[in-house]
Amino acid sequence: MAERIGVFVCKCGPNIGDRIDVDSVVAEAEGIEDVVTAKSHNLLCSEDGIRFLQEEIRKGGLTRVVIAACTPKQYEQKFMRACEGVGLNPYLLQMTNIREQCAWVTPDPAQATAKAKSLVRAATMRATLQEPIEKKEIEIHPDVLVVGSGVAGLEATLTLAQKGRKVYLLEKSPCIGGLGARFEEVYQTMECAPCMLAPELQEVLQKENIEAITYGELEGVVGSYGNFTVKIRRKARYVSEEACIGCSACFEPCPVEVSNEFDEGLSKRKAIYIPFAGALPNVPVIDEANCIKLKGGECNACQEACPFDAIDFDDQDRIEEKRVGAIILATGSTQFNPSSLAQYGYGRFDNVLTGLELERLNASNGPTGGKILLKDGREPRSVAFVYCVGRKEKGHCSGICCMYSVKLAHLLKEKIPGVEVYSFYTDLCLPKKEHQRLYEEVVEKGVEFIRSNGSERVSRDGKGLVVEYKADSTSKSLAVDMVVLAPAIEPNPDTAKLAAILDIPLDERGFFSEEHPLMKSFGTPLEGVFIAGCCQGPKDIGDAVAQGGAAAGRILSRLIPGEKLELEPIVAVIDEEICGGCNTCISICPYSAISRDEEKKVAVVDDTLCRGCGTCVAACPTGAARAKHFTNEEIFAEIREVVR
Amino acid sequence: MKTETDFQLKVIAFCCKWCSSAAADLAGTSRMKMLPNFTIIPTMCSSRVDPELILKAFERGAWGVLVAGCHPGDCHYQNGNYKTQRRIFLLRKLLSDFGIEPDRLRLEWISASEGAKFAQVVNEFIERVDELGPLKD
Ligand SMILES: Cc1cc2nc3c(=O)[nH]c(=O)nc-3n(C[C@H](O)[C@H](O)[C@H](O)COP(=O)(O)OP(=O)(O)OC[C@H]3O[C@@H](n4cnc5c(N)ncnc54)[C@H](O)[C@@H]3O)c2cc1C
Ligand code: SF4
Ligand code: SF4
Ligand code: FES
Repeated sequence: MAERIGVFVCKCGPNIGDRIDVDSVVAEAEGIEDVVTAKSHNLLCSEDGIRFLQEEIRKGGLTRVVIAACTPKQYEQKFMRACEGVGLNPYLLQMTNIREQCAWVTPDPAQATAKAKSLVRAATMRATLQEPIEKKEIEIHPDVLVVGSGVAGLEATLTLAQKGRKVYLLEKSPCIGGLGARFEEVYQTMECAPCMLAPELQEVLQKENIEAITYGELEGVVGSYGNFTVKIRRKARYVSEEACIGCSACFEPCPVEVSNEFDEGLSKRKAIYIPFAGALPNVPVIDEANCIKLKGGECNACQEACPFDAIDFDDQDRIEEKRVGAIILATGSTQFNPSSLAQYGYGRFDNVLTGLELERLNASNGPTGGKILLKDGREPRSVAFVYCVGRKEKGHCSGICCMYSVKLAHLLKEKIPGVEVYSFYTDLCLPKKEHQRLYEEVVEKGVEFIRSNGSERVSRDGKGLVVEYKADSTSKSLAVDMVVLAPAIEPNPDTAKLAAILDIPLDERGFFSEEHPLMKSFGTPLEGVFIAGCCQGPKDIGDAVAQGGAAAGRILSRLIPGEKLELEPIVAVIDEEICGGCNTCISICPYSAISRDEEKKVAVVDDTLCRGCGTCVAACPTGAARAKHFTNEEIFAEIREVVR
Repeated sequence: MKTETDFQLKVIAFCCKWCSSAAADLAGTSRMKMLPNFTIIPTMCSSRVDPELILKAFERGAWGVLVAGCHPGDCHYQNGNYKTQRRIFLLRKLLSDFGIEPDRLRLEWISASEGAKFAQVVNEFIERVDELGPLKD
């Protein structure tokens, strides 16, 4: 059956009307095969224009509509809705731009008119070939998985939970709170970090719709936005979370002592332990690798000491599957290991620390109860900070090291009266509205900032340390008791593991790659998978929290209980009759939307993942892959009319 | 030739619907002066532009084909434009085998703010293919 095509040319007031002979364009359209109506209108996007359009579609029983007007970016959606409103599938509308790309750029009206005619012909021939496309909607699971419980993960979890969402908060370590929970004070507010975090941590543990899974890991993910199935490993804790009341009676009798990673190795812990005083949940774990009993030896000390029978040596890892609609990764980062740069003496000399180690020394829940001490127990009389350790090697500025070093210098000055503090820097990074002030404060307190050329070397001199450096082109040296390094922030090893599990890309530095560095720094190319905090790149607490909130907001606004998720309707389809099974498309799709049907030996597009870029269509050697709404035939028809 | 209203010189400009189409629109809103001999055919991403589409354009008599996409790193589908770049590079090499001057095929990265660049690229390209004249059969 022949199509009934209507062509509508908008004058856009004088914008098109004065530059193009609209009547002759309409006359041209009338002469095209299957065009049953061709009309002009003064302002098609106006209310009157929309009414006129709908009336024409109805009256003429139109099966295709061509609108020659402004850029589709402006009103295409409106015109599509107008078509839909009178029962015409919106993908049977074709717009052609005779304003921006014709009337406004072609000085000669005769030429502009001729061009407009050719555009209208091309759009009309294309429209004949267009096919209706149905809106695609899928049922969804509103629950969300958040991986990592640092400040970014906490913010995301609480934002989602406040709206009543069920959230699984998966944390790898035995306690929640991430790095922030291990600091005493935080810039820029210089407030107590545990106090700042405590209410959030409590809420996470108490809120009914949050299930905090500590000592757990993500093992696998299948599915797509709205419908993921995630596999979680709950590692054996050997201590029942229900029975244990956190009395700590079990630590003392344990005969094993190992270095405590939560104090950066500055203290010892037992094989049964909680990471630090006040860690939540307040339930210990037994470290399999070091427990005598779990290694097959004879020991029962903790079990005997526990008054509540909470210790269970038969505990086992459990694999659980959860269904969620979206996933937020907030797994943080790690620090560059300065021992690979011999000049700093880290790992070789006592009292050469990283900033994080000094954080732990300064923390009341740390190895010294908050006393900043040298290895031999004395208070340091002089401390030198060295900034930008590993910046050159890593090739990025971490943006937080200057500020936390300034913070630590400030804390030193407060804690140890008369301590001399020096800061060796090459560049200072003090963004944000309060940072410069804190810097000026420490300068006023007597912290000496020394601009060097980045060639600091640390050596030992008796019990003390010497920093050799070059400033103002002269070599100098300075004797100090303690050196504190500010190593670059780098991705932690789990980043690559998770990227492989989820099939999402990493950037060239190994952090998760964002969907857009500015507009969607919290998104990934995989719909429904978001990133927040330092796993996306180094940042401070404020920025990490903002990303966590943004990711949660995106989920709340699109993944709504009881509502279906609308998907991109313009996708690729593969004709299994034609597909030769070469897999070209599978390897080229940027969204891993194509998989292989092993039985039929053909490629299949998952239209919940496809975003319709058309890469596969261009790459397919057999022509089996077709792009809906951008088929070869449609584009050929345009070409044919344009080059007539 | 360029001044006649039934112009024979035709250039097809494939523009992705993001950056390069937006640049084309901006050229319009900035009222740049452009030669009338180009027609934009939009695609979702420059990576949709199949060599077959380009060859079809030449077969039909287009004097030149411009492919415009987002700048490297700005593609709205991850890295579609890198794939485009590779494809166009290879196709340009092949064109001479078909007796088509490689200069008739041009690839440009044009961002949404580069309306002036869009106008300039298109005008220059039309001038260039005008020098080359119509395709030889
Ligand atoms: C020495 C130092 C001092 C700092 N001082 C300040 C300061 O004063 N003020 C400030 O604003 N910022 C400061 N920062 C920066 C601040 O620490 C970060 O901005 C913040 O911790 C980022 O939070 P996050 O949630 O992204 O990551 P994190 O706090 O690192 O949390 C990540 C969480 O994810 C967990 N995790 C990791 N891998 C997995 C996995 N595979 N599965 C499950 N869970 C996983 C981790 O165990 C951790 O609990 C400092 C940083 C350093 C290094
Ligand atoms: S590229 Fe084409 S032929 Fe090859 S597997 Fe994909 S659809 Fe099939
Ligand atoms: S159109 Fe793009 S997103 Fe969709 S399957 Fe093809 S390559 Fe993947
Ligand atoms: S979207 Fe513009 S080149 Fe890919």
